[in-house]
Amino acid sequence: MKQASDFHVGDSFELVREADRYRPIYYAAVSGDFNPIHIDREVGRAAGFPDAILQGMCTMAWLADACTAYLGDPARVKRLRVRFSRPVVVGDVVTFRGRCVAVEGPVVRLEVEARNQRGEEVLKGASAEGWLETV
Amino acid sequence: MPIDPRHVGRRYGPFRSTVCADQIRSFAIAVAGGSPGYFGTAVGDPHPWSVDDEAASRSPHGALVAPPTFGVTFAMKPFALACSDPELGIDLLRLLHAEQEFEHGAPIRPGDELTTVGEIVEIRSRGALDFLAVRTETVNAAGERVLVGRWTAVVRR
Repeated sequence: MKQASDFHVGDSFELVREADRYRPIYYAAVSGDFNPIHIDREVGRAAGFPDAILQGMCTMAWLADACTAYLGDPARVKRLRVRFSRPVVVGDVVTFRGRCVAVEGPVVRLEVEARNQRGEEVLKGASAEGWLETV
Repeated sequence: MPIDPRHVGRRYGPFRSTVCADQIRSFAIAVAGGSPGYFGTAVGDPHPWSVDDEAASRSPHGALVAPPTFGVTFAMKPFALACSDPELGIDLLRLLHAEQEFEHGAPIRPGDELTTVGEIVEIRSRGALDFLAVRTETVNAAGERVLVGRWTAVVRR
């Protein structure tokens, strides 16, 4: 596993995830969030969207996966913070681009951009804090 | 009608839940682009320490650990109950998840017995938008804090 000396300000990482037709349904099954706006196209449309929209928490889970892959251990991700600035609609592909902005002793600070296939930001102010001494 | 700010301080819980290994695995697989459940074959690319017992047993944790946002499975309940609370009268078609913060404590593992409480900590309006924030706190059986969440919804009036 990566050690403290392996993390440097300016490191970058990337993750791409797709909100395929089944993703909100699978996510509902494993999270418990069955709000109809996420699993029924008609309800998504009634709410003013072109289709069902993905649970914001699934987008946040993707962000967490991007940070986990960089940090090397799920338990190192200690703080996560996001603002959901635009819904992710079924069919969207989201690209997460993260960078390390600070390494302060055992604390690694990350900032992440998340954009859909049209280049629109789906998260704003997404940040994470990794703690390297968790075990 | 804006949401009545007198509901700040309204509490939900405590709620108990027990974490199981299959639940951690399914969550990690579904998030990573795979298909959970009986007919699922694709696994996506989850971190091995959340899905593979063998790899996890050789990790510093010695067993599976939950992915960072797994807390949704037990800690979202107070937020969901607040959003659909008849006393607040929110139209769910007009509601979106606006902001989310998590602060993790001890790693979450299979067998953990967790207790979650939640409280409405903020109700404010900005133009035609209402914001509702719920703070949740989850502890394990040893009394260690495993998760603090701040869940914010926006309602378009």
